[in-house]
Amino acid sequence: MPVVDVDPDELRYLTGHDEKDDDELKSDLFDLGLEFEGWTEDDEFQLEFAPDRLDRLSVEGVARSLRYHYGDDRGVDIPNTNSADWTIEVEDQPDERPYVTGAIVRGLDMDEAALESLIQLQEKLHATMGRKRAKGAIGVHDLTMLKGDSVTDETGKSITYTSADPDEATFVPLDADAEMTPSEVMASHETGQTYGDLVADFDRVPAIYDAIGLFSFPPVINGRRTEVSVDSRDLFIEMTGTDQWTIDHMCNIVCYALAARGGQVEKVDVSYADDAPGEYAGKTLERPDFSVRTKTVTHDRIESILGVSLDSREVIDYAERAGLDATETESDDGVAYEVEVPPYRVDVIHPLDTIDDIGRALGFNSLEPTYPDVSTVGGRHERSRLEDAARDALVGLGFEDLLNFHMINEVENFERMGLDPDTTGGDVVGQTDPVTIQEPYSEDYTILRTWALPSIMMVLENNTHRSYPQDLAEIGLAAGLDDSENTGIAEHRTVAAALARTDASYEDAKARLQALADAFDKDLETPPTVHPSFIGGRAAEVVLDGESVGVIGEIHPKLLIEHDLELPVAAFEFRLDALE
Amino acid sequence: MKRPQAQVAVLQAADAQEDRRIDDVAAEADLKPEAATRAAFELEADGLVSVSEETLEHYELTDEGDRYVRESLPEQDLYEAAIDAGAADGPVQMGQVIGASGLEGGAVDIALSNYARKAYGSIDSGEITANQDADPGSDPEMLALEAVADRRVDDADTDALDQLERRGLLDVREETVRSVQLTDDGVTALMEGVEAAETVDQLTPEMLTSGEWEDVAFTEYNVEADAEDVSHGKEHILRQTANRVKDTLVGMGFSEMEGPHADAQFWINDCLFMPQDHPARTHWDQFALAEPEEIGHLPPDLVERVRSAHKEGVGPDGEGYHSPWTEDIARGMDLRGHTTSLSMRYLSGHQVGELDPPERYFSVEKVYRNDTLDPTHLLEFFQIEGWVMAEELSVRDLMGTFTEFYEQFGITDLEFKPHYNPYTEPSFELFGTHPETGEVVEVGNSGIFRDEVLTPLGVDCDVMAWGLSLERLLMLMYGFEDIRDVHGTLCDLELLRETEVIR
Repeated sequence: MPVVDVDPDELRYLTGHDEKDDDELKSDLFDLGLEFEGWTEDDEFQLEFAPDRLDRLSVEGVARSLRYHYGDDRGVDIPNTNSADWTIEVEDQPDERPYVTGAIVRGLDMDEAALESLIQLQEKLHATMGRKRAKGAIGVHDLTMLKGDSVTDETGKSITYTSADPDEATFVPLDADAEMTPSEVMASHETGQTYGDLVADFDRVPAIYDAIGLFSFPPVINGRRTEVSVDSRDLFIEMTGTDQWTIDHMCNIVCYALAARGGQVEKVDVSYADDAPGEYAGKTLERPDFSVRTKTVTHDRIESILGVSLDSREVIDYAERAGLDATETESDDGVAYEVEVPPYRVDVIHPLDTIDDIGRALGFNSLEPTYPDVSTVGGRHERSRLEDAARDALVGLGFEDLLNFHMINEVENFERMGLDPDTTGGDVVGQTDPVTIQEPYSEDYTILRTWALPSIMMVLENNTHRSYPQDLAEIGLAAGLDDSENTGIAEHRTVAAALARTDASYEDAKARLQALADAFDKDLETPPTVHPSFIGGRAAEVVLDGESVGVIGEIHPKLLIEHDLELPVAAFEFRLDALE
Repeated sequence: MKRPQAQVAVLQAADAQEDRRIDDVAAEADLKPEAATRAAFELEADGLVSVSEETLEHYELTDEGDRYVRESLPEQDLYEAAIDAGAADGPVQMGQVIGASGLEGGAVDIALSNYARKAYGSIDSGEITANQDADPGSDPEMLALEAVADRRVDDADTDALDQLERRGLLDVREETVRSVQLTDDGVTALMEGVEAAETVDQLTPEMLTSGEWEDVAFTEYNVEADAEDVSHGKEHILRQTANRVKDTLVGMGFSEMEGPHADAQFWINDCLFMPQDHPARTHWDQFALAEPEEIGHLPPDLVERVRSAHKEGVGPDGEGYHSPWTEDIARGMDLRGHTTSLSMRYLSGHQVGELDPPERYFSVEKVYRNDTLDPTHLLEFFQIEGWVMAEELSVRDLMGTFTEFYEQFGITDLEFKPHYNPYTEPSFELFGTHPETGEVVEVGNSGIFRDEVLTPLGVDCDVMAWGLSLERLLMLMYGFEDIRDVHGTLCDLELLRETEVIR
């Protein structure tokens, strides 16, 4: 879940509610779904929230939500924008990163707190919507340091989003003192090493030029020339990425935050060359795009989801309190609303999402729970009933029921049981090709177990200090590769049991297996077999109603020594479905 | 006065002046020790004898201690070698002394640490000196070892015994020994004469068939005495909890689902409207499989509808995600990170055929997350999952259903905190009051499935769903602190044996 650091003083200043103390603010924020997680080193609130409202990734966005919550603001608010003076020319940009957007914000009077907030917002957007800069990356520049060539007329200025040879283009990146090529940045600059992978495979890397030269190498690093400081009053914001909608909306969130700081937003034309890659070739986009989106939602649906009766006036009121605008209209399904969604709301992608907003404004916890008047007949699954019946029978025979992990590693599953992991096929119980896990978190858990006796042996090994006898059993999942299954995996429930006692013998195990077979009215035969986990001459196949379904025997002494056991163990394992 | 035979024998064997061990009394009275103990307690209850208990310590040499007592302590060997090397006159190279002493491996460290502790000399910068005045020949630890070996523990110095126990050379076992002594009432009773009653200990089949049982008196037992420990099988505590949950849900009209643990991402994530590049998909850190890598077959029409929901949205105002979507990723095999994959299979009609409202389904099954193992998180745990399908459902129905469910487990005052899930809207985190501590704790996550989930599955009514971890419920209900003691191969059999059963 995203976390945002917010200075409570800033929050009081931006909401205009100086009278709120820290505890009141925390409680109000909790109502909005922003949970106080603790204080930062700089005495800021650390707030955690669900990853839908990415417009709250800065103190400005949080303050805006609070103002709606307090009723200070209502409905959709669109900042004023001045018309475009600057153009981003897009030509020969990398196919892999074809999109760019931008905006200008003028007249800022930023203090340290405002600058920090902007940097935090940029980082948080990179981490979330920007997918660690792969999908969208933000560059903010001091506009006064840019020199724009005139393109169309005397006043218009431009920068160019294009591509560059990573070994030829040069610029001085942030946190550096000398000219470097993009390749050098990726090889030796700290930020370059972190983000260089995103463009390492490109023949030509993304590059932004003004009349002076290269000033940004997105998505890796900006140039030092245009670095933003507290003295910067006018900012040029550009974003590049793999999806136009995503970067446009990241841009909207940043522009709303800066407008809340008193900045004047100015449009920028994004002009794609006729032969530019991507879906906007030959088109000019005016950005930021502050147009509202409209979702049509019926009155009936609002009432059926919330389970309450409302009149239109209430619906419109709740919508406005949520920062939306709603207009009553008629539809095929009766009364409906055209709900307008502001340009910073990236989470509203369906009419249903506006009902959630209305519900939140109404206060879900004020609703009275009702038990649905819907009648159904319940029941257990056949497989789980069988499993329970077998487990009851084992417990009745004195076994302690175990619950082990289905994940295990090759060593425990095969080698420590005397099986050869490289031997495939055959009908030795446990000797199945295992389901293997990609990049396992721990080397203890690399496959799904092919049988359950290894787990029981591990429990015995870990409990040698506990009193004996230890009669242990488990019914659980085992799995192996199987081409004939749609998933490529045969999963089955296995019944495994072991008797660890000073005089444990084959006969003791067989007596219990026989009792189990009798309980399920199965005919048990135990023809001799050879299995590496058991003592030769003391191992048998478990044959139930004529079908070979498992193995029984006395565990081989070399396995006992391997598991630090100082007494004999007799054991059996077979497929649960044999008891059906 | 008439008393049972065993009591008479104990009374006669007991002494009024001194405590007699029950074992000795039993031998003299020709009784089994348990019978004599039982008789003694019965007599004590009537004030005829007093029973006292004392705890005796038994010392036994460990294998290491046994070896030293037959040979010598490693520090003694070291001292001898040091004296031979002339360390009494000045520092000598340690390596040389150790070589001469014949000590090897772990014995070297043992010798060095005890050498210094006992002031046999000093060890500094790889050099060793020997204290001329030290007297390893009368080392109190060696004397104590010998005393234990010769069963003369009383002669041994107690500090030395403690030290030997710390060094792992001795094992100490405690044993409770009971003794009896006649009370004044007991002496009086004996003087007045005590006769053995015609009693029997054990009712036998012969007595029953012969009718002899009618003529005998039965020995009275001390029915309050402790009985021996009986080990017994028991269903695993988590299974018991799972069954309690299953019973509750079946009682509420839910049917149980069943399906694969390893499944295609399509069923686990894509049907749930989780965008393929969403942080939550990595956040859940599901286990991807190296083998098998891909599912064999996915229903092509459903795949197309799911793709379309992701890319174009559902309904006239639906937008979908601005994220890439490929069938290749959807085909990839994972261990399921939630059992909602089963819900998707059931709702799609591909598991048990088309479903018509109303329906209620649940599962209490394992899920897998690539998370860090700690006292409250496991890589595998049980998820309780349930959903209700009906023509029209509201958030109030959702609240009512879950209030009812959690009340069955003593969790009341349920609160619904609006939340975000990619697959439900509205969504709620559920908070409840802990039955023991009164704390407000998170108990689950819930919501009404989005149209983008249901429409591709061919469901045109409402479905509300919720999930929580069974382990969390268990920990809340029974106060376990480390889930690893219970679940997995690190489990403690003692804990499982002693845990109270679930009612």
